[in-house]
Amino acid sequence: MKPFITTSLRLLLYLILIAPLLLFIAYGFSTRWFFPAPFPAEWTTSTFDRALNDSRTLTGLRDGLTIAVIVSVLSLLLAFPAARVMGLRQFKGQQLAWLLLFLPTVVPPLAIGMGLNILFLQLGLAGTIFGVVLAHLIPTLPYTIFTLSSAFARYDENFEHQALALGASPLQIFVNVTLRMMTPSLVVARLFAFLISWSQYLLTLLIGGGKIITLPILLFAAASGGNPSTIGIKSLLFVLPPVLVIAFTARELTRHGEDIREQY
Amino acid sequence: MTHIQITSLHKTYPNASTPVLKDFSLSINDGEMVALLGPSGTGKSTLLKLIAGIEQPDSGDIYFDGESILQTEPNKRGAVLMFQKSYLFPFLNVEENIGFGLKMQGVAPSVIQGEVKRMLNLIGLPGIEKRKVGQLSGGEGQRVALARALVSQPKLLMLDEPLSSLDTSVRMNLQAAIREIQRELGITTIFVTHDLSEAMAMSDHMAILLDGQVTAYDKPETLFHRPPCVRSAKFVGVDLFLEGEAGGGWLEAAEVGRVKLKDEPKVGRSVFAIRPEHIRIQKEATKNSLKGVVQSCLFRGEALEVQVRLGAVTTRARLPMPAPMFTHGERIFVQLPAEHLFEVAR
Repeated sequence: MKPFITTSLRLLLYLILIAPLLLFIAYGFSTRWFFPAPFPAEWTTSTFDRALNDSRTLTGLRDGLTIAVIVSVLSLLLAFPAARVMGLRQFKGQQLAWLLLFLPTVVPPLAIGMGLNILFLQLGLAGTIFGVVLAHLIPTLPYTIFTLSSAFARYDENFEHQALALGASPLQIFVNVTLRMMTPSLVVARLFAFLISWSQYLLTLLIGGGKIITLPILLFAAASGGNPSTIGIKSLLFVLPPVLVIAFTARELTRHGEDIREQY
Repeated sequence: MTHIQITSLHKTYPNASTPVLKDFSLSINDGEMVALLGPSGTGKSTLLKLIAGIEQPDSGDIYFDGESILQTEPNKRGAVLMFQKSYLFPFLNVEENIGFGLKMQGVAPSVIQGEVKRMLNLIGLPGIEKRKVGQLSGGEGQRVALARALVSQPKLLMLDEPLSSLDTSVRMNLQAAIREIQRELGITTIFVTHDLSEAMAMSDHMAILLDGQVTAYDKPETLFHRPPCVRSAKFVGVDLFLEGEAGGGWLEAAEVGRVKLKDEPKVGRSVFAIRPEHIRIQKEATKNSLKGVVQSCLFRGEALEVQVRLGAVTTRARLPMPAPMFTHGERIFVQLPAEHLFEVAR
């Protein structure tokens, strides 16, 4: 009886998680699905084909991915030294530093976006991929810094000292020890940065100024249009990269699982 | 084989009010193992970090075979440090861990493989090349860490309390193994510990480090039986210090009374000490014995430890077994054999 209940609960949980996706698939690959019909009357791939041949959708997908990947890399590069200092050292004004780093998560994105828009217009960065990347770093950096600094708080620098005493150069230590020890946290921080950047709507709209179109912007427009098939397909396209990145991250974390247990 | 000379080393950590090392000097002969003995926080580990280049001294110098190493990059000094924790890299297997230093120096993989095999044979763990470090016991982990430290044939091997987290039996085995390997390879070694018996068992010379300074440096047996000063003597287990006016072969100790000295020509104010093993306790009065009262009596296996009130002081005597048990409050007589009393600096 007990295994039956456990299995049922597990299946229910999976269903709750997958249900929205099933709904997107049902809408995206069907036509003429009206209430009170329980299932679509007709299945078709025409909306999907149209989306794949639509240059705006493909550009949105490409630019969104490009921005999210660049933002993930830059976030890690910028967050790593900051997180190391915040996690490993204690200094005067550390609480103020935490507050400043945390600030972008509490200030409304609209306020940040409007302010940045004026600045980026002056600098000529508005409407460029680089400008949008810089704007996306504002909400991603706090999360990457927090993720990495909590890992650094448990990090034992003596592994690096040990490598130094064994004859490794600072660069060799960074590559062969620090990065290897921090891999699990870097993978998680990268996931956060990717997801936050990928799903940014407001900052992309404000800084991109209509020149940089990413999938969330198209999805928002489609949602306003009210065509369920288009919404379904665009939602599926929107969900696909995060699902792949999460799956890839989970695989990496499993592979490094033993290292994590060793380290902590 | 390297001669190590450390001169007037000073180190104060930022935000610390007192220096952790002050005017620290030490000379270590080629191929010797020197034990650095001292309580926690006296700068033992700091000294090793200064030699390894992990920390920088405020002043002073360190010489390997007459050449200062302070300007040499840490990874090129040839001083390998092994910590209390093995710090084996969890993402590498045993072979990769041992070969880490060689790989960083660009040694060919085939050579590394041969060296790793040789080291595993040396530490008595052949055939575990592919084992994950998480599968090693504490003792095995320290052996592998030792192999990793030795594989690059360092000029100086520094062991920072490498056995203190291990069980007694594993620890004893490893003490013997480390000593044997060190002698076989002839690597100059500094061994840091706060365990007196370990320091004595492992070293050619022993330095007692208190408050950032070397208070005594000699062969273990000399330091054990004749520590030069009160502080060093306390650290090697001496408990009874008698201060008073010496003259005519007697010491007029204020706390306990007249004590016979062994033909001491010493005259004037001095401090004498005696090891607890040399204090004798008896039920009957004999010539020159002092009156005492038993405070406690503990069976320690190989010896009976008796706490005795002697005049104004309380001290410990270790009586070899078999010895009669004493009861609390029992009145006894204490003999301080003149041949075992030695003078110490204040």
